[in-house]
Amino acid sequence: MSKEPSQEPTKPDGEEPKKKGLFGIFGTAKEVMYGMATHDMSRSALRTRASMEHLFILITMGDLLGVPILPPYYSLRLMPYVVPQISTWKRRMLRERDITDALG
Amino acid sequence: MAAKAPAQTDLQRVFEQHPERRYIMFGGKGGLGKTTFSAATAYWLARQGKRVLVFSVDPQASLSDIFQQDIFGKGPVKIMENLWAQEIDADSHIKAYQDEIRKKILDMYGLDAVPEEIENYIQAASAEPAMEESAIFDAVVDIVVKSDYDYYIYDLVPLGHALYYLSMAKVYDEWINKITQLRQQMREYEQVSNVMKRKKTTEEDQILGELQDIKQRINASSRILTDKVKTAFFFVVVPEEMIILDTRKAAELFTKFDVPLAGYVVNRVLPEELAGQNVPEYLKKRLAMQKRYVGDIQKSLGKDVLAYVPEMERDVTGLPAIERLAAIMYGQ
Repeated sequence: MSKEPSQEPTKPDGEEPKKKGLFGIFGTAKEVMYGMATHDMSRSALRTRASMEHLFILITMGDLLGVPILPPYYSLRLMPYVVPQISTWKRRMLRERDITDALG
Repeated sequence: MAAKAPAQTDLQRVFEQHPERRYIMFGGKGGLGKTTFSAATAYWLARQGKRVLVFSVDPQASLSDIFQQDIFGKGPVKIMENLWAQEIDADSHIKAYQDEIRKKILDMYGLDAVPEEIENYIQAASAEPAMEESAIFDAVVDIVVKSDYDYYIYDLVPLGHALYYLSMAKVYDEWINKITQLRQQMREYEQVSNVMKRKKTTEEDQILGELQDIKQRINASSRILTDKVKTAFFFVVVPEEMIILDTRKAAELFTKFDVPLAGYVVNRVLPEELAGQNVPEYLKKRLAMQKRYVGDIQKSLGKDVLAYVPEMERDVTGLPAIERLAAIMYGQ
């Protein structure tokens, strides 16, 4: 994953763009700090969440991959919510893996 | 057979002493008279002026046969004043449920058709063997939480199935707990990321909402099955060795699942006065065997036996026969 964090200061809603001077510098500094300090953490939190999402779908919809999971009645009720994720999930679950996965 | 109806019976006394017991269940091996007793009890309670629903959780239900009226899949059908009977049609319940899921998918994503892969899953899931039981289980929740009646009489499935039905609630509950935990953890990660990104709100997790709703439904149902105050579970036995042994084992298992046992009803007791008459050898032997097993039952279950119901001279179908049986069980 090489997507760079956007360095453009993203303005909080409703803030005037012409706020310059000390506040502007402060704002930029804040963004830089975010980029340096927490962006990676936030990304890793999201990545963990995505993995859990896939684990969740495996637990509830495992039948889609041929893994029988109890009980089907109530997992059907959750089906509508995971429809968009099904294809990425399947791709991730079924893709080939090698040693470099462990290094990533 | 000249079974004279007593003025008051132990069964009647139990019902009168515990008016708070609204959920009545008769359990036992197949073919011993669960449906018959359910119908007779429902009839008697309705005659006492209580609003009663007797319903079957058995995919091979026989309430239609005993009331001599086709009630299958028709919702609660009025049999007589204060008495309704219901047989759940699991298949149509599953179909309606599938359609609901499909509609939700189409509505949520503005699709014209359910994606093939998803459609296949929906159909495959419905072919699972547990699906029918689960559907009935779910339908029962709808029936009992509405609380429209004074008494709910469960015409239960044979023992093995009934245990499965009870354990299903536990399995479901644990399954839901596990995935709810996972879902909550996922939410925490999302929140952490949002805080770091200085986003104020985290979107509401609809799946978590659904899970909590499912959990509530399952709990509502299993709470009733194990409610010591409002539920009474009666075992039906007949004086035969294998049935007594099986029932004893089942009673232990039911106790493990916290089902409140209210007592036993012994069915198919051959009238003792037959012994004094000139009866064939075959019947004499059966009478002697029965005497031994009734003795066993008295010794091991004692006061827990609330009624000895005689073998009737004809099968119990139709309201007049049910009325006669109710008089024997609950007195005039």
